[in-house]
Amino acid sequence: MKKKIQWGKFSKPMILVAFVIILTILRPDSFPTLGNISNVLWSVSVYGIMVCGTIFVFLVGGIDLSIGSLCGLSAVVIVKTIHAFGDTEGGVAAGIMAALLVGALAGVIHGFVITKFKVPAFLVTFATSSIFLGLSMVLTNNKIISCLGPDLFTAIGMMKILGFPIPIYVMLIIAIVSWFVLRKTPFGRYMYAIGGNPAAARLSGINDTGLTFLAYIFSGISTALGGIVLASMTQQCMASTGSGYETEVITAAVIGGVSLLGGEGTVPGAIFGAVIIGLLNNGLNLMSVPSTEHGLVKGIVIIAAVAFDALQHQDQAKKGFSFFSFGKSKKTA
Amino acid sequence: MKQTTVRHLISLGMLLVLIVMFSILSPYFLSPDNLLEVARDASVVGIIGVGVTYVIITAGIDLSTGSAMALVGMTMANIYAYTVWPIWIMLVFGILVGLLAGLFNGFVVARLHLPEFIATLATMGIYRALTYAIAIRDAGGVIQSQAMTDSGFTALGGAAGPVYLVTIALIAAIVIGQIVLKYTRFGTNLYAVGASQKAAALSGINIAKVRILAYVVTGFCVAVGAIFTTARLQSTTALLGDGFEFDPIAAAVVGGVALSGGSGDIVGTLIGALFMAALDNGVLKLHMNTAYQYIIKGIILILVVMFDAWYKGRMEKAAQEKGVKEAAAENE
Repeated sequence: MKKKIQWGKFSKPMILVAFVIILTILRPDSFPTLGNISNVLWSVSVYGIMVCGTIFVFLVGGIDLSIGSLCGLSAVVIVKTIHAFGDTEGGVAAGIMAALLVGALAGVIHGFVITKFKVPAFLVTFATSSIFLGLSMVLTNNKIISCLGPDLFTAIGMMKILGFPIPIYVMLIIAIVSWFVLRKTPFGRYMYAIGGNPAAARLSGINDTGLTFLAYIFSGISTALGGIVLASMTQQCMASTGSGYETEVITAAVIGGVSLLGGEGTVPGAIFGAVIIGLLNNGLNLMSVPSTEHGLVKGIVIIAAVAFDALQHQDQAKKGFSFFSFGKSKKTA
Repeated sequence: MKQTTVRHLISLGMLLVLIVMFSILSPYFLSPDNLLEVARDASVVGIIGVGVTYVIITAGIDLSTGSAMALVGMTMANIYAYTVWPIWIMLVFGILVGLLAGLFNGFVVARLHLPEFIATLATMGIYRALTYAIAIRDAGGVIQSQAMTDSGFTALGGAAGPVYLVTIALIAAIVIGQIVLKYTRFGTNLYAVGASQKAAALSGINIAKVRILAYVVTGFCVAVGAIFTTARLQSTTALLGDGFEFDPIAAAVVGGVALSGGSGDIVGTLIGALFMAALDNGVLKLHMNTAYQYIIKGIILILVVMFDAWYKGRMEKAAQEKGVKEAAAENE
């Protein structure tokens, strides 16, 4: 018997190819150039880096609304540390360590409150995002702090290797690490198990609170890394750095097939989602759509893309009625 | 005592602790004027919270409320600026736009089967962009805030006696919302859909209809909220309600509505809205730098939900032990 081709598996690459074709037709001169493609990837690299850690939180069925302001806070921390060390190379190393530490600490706080007190992740991270924003405002004194600082710092965001800037490689490396952990280690499989059915995971001896704790720490660290790269790319920081990134990252994840209910989604899918967002922003800029109207086009494209993807998976959707709904009854979000 | 009653008492207790704390820190906090101000601030969040609670009970979420508010406001501003129609027609159009926004959310969620979070995130962008598209611009194309100073309209932002009209609207919304939720078939269906869509479908409930209706109710509440907000401001801007979308959700969750669906009620959301408004107002009264206000707000919110979760866990454990004892006593 001939094996049936599972078209559902290809819906995401199909959307991506359709995007590239449409943009190539609309802007044949400016879109399909190596410089522009490299630009698109450069602009999505911060989202890509962040989503690689935040996907762990989504997989265990949680959510992290604080990543936008945490990204800003870690950008502020690295810039302030570099200035404190008098713009030296050592200051950059110390700044990176400090920012990553802040990210990890944020993850520890989230993990502790969410797992020990069984508080909805939505509320905890909503509250901490306000705290992180306040801390950034205190540290920057509500001013823009520029950092044209040592070459080592600007290299993180700007230096090119083989025609592509370093953030793209950072994104690729963290994506591979995150993919490997999720796909090839028991640890990763436990993450899927917890999100898929927490009660069953617990009964089969998986330490669900410990792993959920770790998921938030990963999210914090990857967000801090995103903040470091962002600070270097823009060579400045302010309290509003990273604001709104939480929605972009969550959108990227969901477009990429990550379920906010937990237990579903892959790293390549999430990166795919980030690239789609990047292509969208790029296309809108190339076609000089005013930024106030980006929301309209983006909203319609997101609805169309996710609905198309949902259509491909309709068989599964019919099996479990609430497959595509947020916050299924199996757990508190 | 019923579990929901206990839950409300806990939330009320938290609200009282907050009020006592702020009234010690600031003598002005407990003055009648200020308390009415807190109620006024809680009102728009509470009114929109009624619809948002319905949506959350069905295990959904609505992130588009802030943008939909702006769209309603800007629609009314256009009618105000370019027509000579009476004010009530302007209000009708505002409500109509709110209903349509809700209907579209419901359509995308229930008919196109998009996850609620991403669907309403997308419509949040769409409604905001539409607001910009119809925004009133000056000759140079710069967006202007549109004043709406008709005395009939701005009266809505004022008070009847000591109480603000918007607070009276809140009370009406809470009473109607709670009655519909507890004593009508639609209300029961909301809980059923939120608890298990599969079970609800098998028992003959039209899930799509219930979910769409929940979003339409939210759209209506958003329109009412937008009317009172613009009447109070006597103007509207394209940025109206920016960042507002999380407020009613936070109010509902503080009030014990579970984001996983199937539980919670309007009274809880009311307490949550009052709590958040008291928190905002009290921190403001401390006269600190905005930065510290953000930090203190976040810390208090976390401490409170931690206490709430800890206390709830204890109560449940106690109830379980009591149940075990009673069962043991029956066996003897």
